[in-house]
Amino acid sequence: TVHTSLDVVDEKISAMGKALVDQRELYLGLLYPTEDYKVYGYVTNSKVKFVMVVDSSNTALRDNEIRSMFRKLHNSYTDIMCNPFYNPGDRIHSRAFDNMVNSMMMQVC
Amino acid sequence: QGREGGRLSSSGELFVLTYGALVAQLCKDYEKDEDVNTCLDRMGYGIGVRLIDDFLARSAVKKCRSYSETADMIAQVAFKMYLGVTPTVSCSSAAGNEFSLILDKNPLVDFVEELPAERASLCYCNLLCGVIRGALEMVHLPAEVTFLQDRLKGDAVTEIGITFLRKAEDRNGLVTTT
Repeated sequence: TVHTSLDVVDEKISAMGKALVDQRELYLGLLYPTEDYKVYGYVTNSKVKFVMVVDSSNTALRDNEIRSMFRKLHNSYTDIMCNPFYNPGDRIHSRAFDNMVNSMMMQVC
Repeated sequence: QGREGGRLSSSGELFVLTYGALVAQLCKDYEKDEDVNTCLDRMGYGIGVRLIDDFLARSAVKKCRSYSETADMIAQVAFKMYLGVTPTVSCSSAAGNEFSLILDKNPLVDFVEELPAERASLCYCNLLCGVIRGALEMVHLPAEVTFLQDRLKGDAVTEIGITFLRKAEDRNGLVTTT
């Protein structure tokens, strides 16, 4: 599912063309729904892609909440990038990042 | 966007990131933590012997009359001027020549959560020790400066220890500074 959705992300990015990218356009919205999952996408202006897979049974999740979750992810990600011992492309092993993700998950579940 | 107040300015962040890049590069160049620590201390020393003149010119302080005044000066004026933080000072010896500076906030480690597992003995901020040592030496106050505790290593606080070495002339125990 995630691999297919990455293709959709690439499609959407190329469709955006050379438009000025601002916060609202970073958020790609619902990529495509399947039976079990909904997949949301977000791409940074450095072309880093965030993909969120949400269980379809979770209908309470609003667009705003998804946007703010992506924003928090983006901010935490930039903090990790500033860690001199982190090499871009490595798996992320940060406790602060995990804590942020866990607390986000608990808020929506 | 999204950052709390109290964060460094852009130039402050650049400084912190540069310091991080320096440490990361030294870690690539040297296998042993002790070698990286020594290198950081040496670099800091080179900075300290030059920085002292800048400090004295900008702060226009009067001569310190005791080790205790000197330690206060380092914590309350120098640290504030260059790093924007004020460590707390306490004297840790009856002889009056050992002091400890406890850093509540340390901007240099803002983005470093913890040391990598293979670098457990790294004194990430050892440059600071060299700076203090070099600066003190230029005002004829030789001292030993090391990290006694380090939050990055799991200690409760970050603590720098300054031990003023008695000059050979002080045989009668009087503290003199020039």
